[in-house]
Amino acid sequence: MARNEKQWNAHPDPSRIEWADSRIYSDEEIFEEELEKIWKKVWIPVCHESELAEPYDFRTMTIAREPIIVCRDTDDKIRAFLNVCPHRANLIERRPSGSFKDGTPSGNPKNMTCMFHAWQFDMKGRCVHISRAEEGYQDRLSPKDVGLRRLRCEVAFGGMVWVTLNDHIEHSVKDWVGSALDCILEPLEMEPLEIFHYHKSIIPSNYKLWHDTNSEFYHDFVHYHNRVTGFNDAYFARKNMTFDNGHVVVGSFEVQYDQYEGFESREALSFPTLPPNNWYMIDIFPGINYNLRGSALRVDLMTPLSANEVMIEFRGLGLKSDSEEDRLTRIRHHNTIWGPMGRNLHEDLLSITGQGVTMRPGTEPRHILHGRHENETIHDEIGMRHYYDTWAEWMGRPLHNPTNRPPVAAAE
Amino acid sequence: MGKANHRAAIEAVKDTVYRTCLLMDDERWSDWLELCDEGFYYKITAYSPEIRRDMLYLDGDRDQIAQMCELLPKHNTDRSPLKRHAVVYTVDVEDNGKAAQAVTSFVIYQNMLDGVNSHIDAGENHLFAVGRYLDSFEIADDSARFLTREVRLETRRLDKGTHWPL
Ligand code: FES
Ligand SMILES: [Fe+2]
Repeated sequence: MARNEKQWNAHPDPSRIEWADSRIYSDEEIFEEELEKIWKKVWIPVCHESELAEPYDFRTMTIAREPIIVCRDTDDKIRAFLNVCPHRANLIERRPSGSFKDGTPSGNPKNMTCMFHAWQFDMKGRCVHISRAEEGYQDRLSPKDVGLRRLRCEVAFGGMVWVTLNDHIEHSVKDWVGSALDCILEPLEMEPLEIFHYHKSIIPSNYKLWHDTNSEFYHDFVHYHNRVTGFNDAYFARKNMTFDNGHVVVGSFEVQYDQYEGFESREALSFPTLPPNNWYMIDIFPGINYNLRGSALRVDLMTPLSANEVMIEFRGLGLKSDSEEDRLTRIRHHNTIWGPMGRNLHEDLLSITGQGVTMRPGTEPRHILHGRHENETIHDEIGMRHYYDTWAEWMGRPLHNPTNRPPVAAAE
Repeated sequence: MGKANHRAAIEAVKDTVYRTCLLMDDERWSDWLELCDEGFYYKITAYSPEIRRDMLYLDGDRDQIAQMCELLPKHNTDRSPLKRHAVVYTVDVEDNGKAAQAVTSFVIYQNMLDGVNSHIDAGENHLFAVGRYLDSFEIADDSARFLTREVRLETRRLDKGTHWPL
């Protein structure tokens, strides 16, 4: 029976079915608060170490609107800084990646140079040159007063470079992730990995909707590929597991790739110690995803841009030791499902685009159901419930009335 | 090879490239593949200045591409059609007149139908991708058949992406 306005707006009984108010996705004030309370407080894997393989290599990115630069020093250590000049806040490096080995039009080799007034910094973030310093600053300002803002940075879990804006974070990356990545730790860590794929999407949707998609597999109904290669007893027995700090693991099973016409088993190129054709998905709070399908690893990083806009960066990784032929096979396995022309990725992105339409800022609050209970198996929405319990705790906002405005149902 | 034959070969290549654009615009995939040799190989590539590597986004031989196109109607997909605007920049015909290479510059617009909110953006055009077709052909009887096509993309922010060959 279709419902009238009052029926449509009536809150479901949360003791019978869990739900969240859609304003967690559409409210701009909540979004700003999420940047402060969550994104500026946690560890974010900003890139893979093979993206800056040589000393003086760098890579730039953004966390919660703050520009970041990571670079590799001559001691091979990767360090992270705000990519902001201490002089008048110009962006120091504008390129997405490159090397400081060679000089730039305003600066010397082996330094980062802010092109504006040519201040220079070394790979440790020390200021090593102020142009016409004595003439202008006499003895009032010296290079040691104007070092870069360093950020905590660790390389962990398959060589990802993790950075946080939070100097006071109580966890190392290892403690923060806890045992959530244990299920793929050996495949990730037995040998060095190397990046082979990068592309990005900007989608008019809230970032959490992408994370939801990655942490519930009930949506496999959208994927023809997953239905024909899964949807058997082993698939429906897959367990969803929850971990401290809001992380979630979607357990594995053996995917029947050859059930999709033209696709092949990935057994010959399984990541070290991973059983053939297994597939693990790990969702790290608040918007990171490790996805290991047999022969290829995908790591997604979200950069929330506004309440209704998210950038998702997709990385594909193989083993550094791959022969050229094996690498090509891994890339093909990756692309057929996850490439920009892959069978699944497009379907996932279309789905959250549609959610983004109905949950634009200013749209009516809606009830978003998280209430499937199926013995914590694959179509159980325990992953989302766990994420939102953590979210509500960090935000200090209840899921049923996340804004301070009165809930709709009260207004009869 | 005589001058007239050389000219005919160039025209044959251009004809195949432009005809292909129209067939692909109309999603007539098997008609496009009819213009391809048995040993045809197709790939979409891009260079990423972010990771400083050449990348492969999609590839397949003639049968694989045909099979993919046959299966795609079973998939959920953005129904907004892609429309190609291309200019053949160069055609280099081999001395024996039996083969040629061409470089074609293209832009692909997406003619929005249901990609986001159709009430608002159906009918609008988005620039979807920019790049080059790097093609090689076999020439026989004044007609050119594809041996290979590399779709070399400049665009790496592909947003929702697409299921279809470009
Ligand atoms: S703003 Fe960087 S040197 Fe002036
Ligand atoms: Fe999916």
